[in-house]
Amino acid sequence: MSDWTLCIDFGTAYSKAAVAPAGAWSRFDPATVRPLMLSPEGQNTFLLDSAVFVDEDRVLFGRVALEEADAQADNKRAALRSFKTLLSVSDLDRALNTNAPTTIDPHRVFQMRDLIVLYLAYLLASVERAIVSDPMLAQGGTFTRRYAAPAWRGGDSAGMHDVIVRLFGEAEAFRAAVGKRILSPDGLSLKTISDALPSATEQAESLEMGLIFEATAAAAYTSVGLEGSGSHMIVVDMGAGTTDIAALARLGPRTIELPEARVTLKQAGDFIDRVIANKVLDAAKWAKRPDARTELWTTLMRQMGDIKEAVMADGRATLRNQGRSVSVALRDVEKDEDFRDFQKSLRQAYDHALAIVRDDARARGRSEVQTIAVGGGASSPFIQDLIRRKMESARPRIVPRPATPDWAHAREFRGNLAPVFPQLAIAIGGALAPDSMLAARGGISPPANDRSDIPVERD
Amino acid sequence: MSAGDKKSKSKKSAARQRAAQGVSLTDALAEAAWAEADAALAQALADFDETQTAEGARARKDALERLGQALSRAARKRGLARLGSLEDELTYDPDAHDLNEAVAKTPKTIRIQARGVTRGGEVLTKPRVGRVSRKKRS
Repeated sequence: MSDWTLCIDFGTAYSKAAVAPAGAWSRFDPATVRPLMLSPEGQNTFLLDSAVFVDEDRVLFGRVALEEADAQADNKRAALRSFKTLLSVSDLDRALNTNAPTTIDPHRVFQMRDLIVLYLAYLLASVERAIVSDPMLAQGGTFTRRYAAPAWRGGDSAGMHDVIVRLFGEAEAFRAAVGKRILSPDGLSLKTISDALPSATEQAESLEMGLIFEATAAAAYTSVGLEGSGSHMIVVDMGAGTTDIAALARLGPRTIELPEARVTLKQAGDFIDRVIANKVLDAAKWAKRPDARTELWTTLMRQMGDIKEAVMADGRATLRNQGRSVSVALRDVEKDEDFRDFQKSLRQAYDHALAIVRDDARARGRSEVQTIAVGGGASSPFIQDLIRRKMESARPRIVPRPATPDWAHAREFRGNLAPVFPQLAIAIGGALAPDSMLAARGGISPPANDRSDIPVERD
Repeated sequence: MSAGDKKSKSKKSAARQRAAQGVSLTDALAEAAWAEADAALAQALADFDETQTAEGARARKDALERLGQALSRAARKRGLARLGSLEDELTYDPDAHDLNEAVAKTPKTIRIQARGVTRGGEVLTKPRVGRVSRKKRS
């Protein structure tokens, strides 16, 4: 039996989880990294849809919840999806104690807190099922648990840790009460929930879980196994809603964040989607009437992931609408005034963060700063240009790292981990990171804005 | 009819049946890694047909562009990356380049006619290159 570290990445669209042997950081073997098969549905079994749907007489979870929400969309019904957004609000207690809107809960019986606890119970049960079905993990051992989170609210994520572990604790108590029924495609009946949830909530204890910042998890999967890798790193994380820049310094066995370097920009993937969509609408001369423009916009948004990827990777994308082809080129996007403003802001934010991390590296006599881009926008040319930019002063030198680390191409995976690595990266990095990289542990969090005070502990 | 009733009548998905049978991690990674590439390849096949049946040069050009786009997407989903840039002129290296023509004398300078393909540092296809003609070099 072995000891393992489990990390849950509670994502906006999907939740992911991965397990690595305890001590993987100092004795790294790529073959021992185990992404968990959380979902029995769909072709990508590693992604568990983050969704809860309150039906007529029951609550559904995951893919089934989304399918039912789609089927009832005409009745103004929707699944609750944006857990991560909810958990990032400034007044979390108030948000959790708010009643769910009628589109989500027509019975008006659930607060947002209840639905999050129910989903976390489903997630924990899915994790348990995945561990039991993995031949390596099923042999037993102890599992130390962590979850990954962005540096929410300008640095107060660690302060929210107590609330999150309490929610996980309630979820664990509820899961124990209802057993495997929560994994049924039929979901749970409202009666089962109303019988079990109140007592589970009352009896729950905070779960022993660590918190790792997503930027730190990125640093972990980038640096693991590298002899003499740089002590300092700057991470540019462009997601859907925000672009976050974070700087980290590894000092002996511990990793600290340089909080003054952190910047969050409100423009990110969704903003670029809109810029591209508007360029296409401008180019589609045949779509003048409002209904034609609405139809084109809908088509665009449905295919935007592929369109944006082609624009960024190939410099151009072509799509067909109503029997006509329309193209959009990267150079058109780069001419857009709003996009140029975003690029300027991003460059300024990056330069600000880079100056801080380079000063810190210089002050500590270090010679290298690694740069890495993560998230959906990592491969965008302007992000890659940013992290590869040459500096006027040569030291400390800038060393750009690939978004998918070389070890993800290890022969053991037969070429199959690297293509899905970006989706699983944070969970894997969180599982590989040593304890000294955690922002908070157990049910205890360090004082807000004092993340560099993480106690030193050898892995 | 509630979703539960509907679901209980539905067949188990192929993915769930495989999960029940205990799919290995490598197989599951392969299935996940291929899922999006499969969709892009299917798109490419349809786009290829349109290049054959398109009426007019403009329609054919559009179809070819979409075909290239779908193939590029499939390649990206499989972690493949291009090597080199089209029309780049480089010193010929027989280990790094595939000469696209029979020549009596090894050229010193070549031009990339088709980019190579790599995955994770491994070169799957070398760039295809041709001689730089005197006329073009001037």
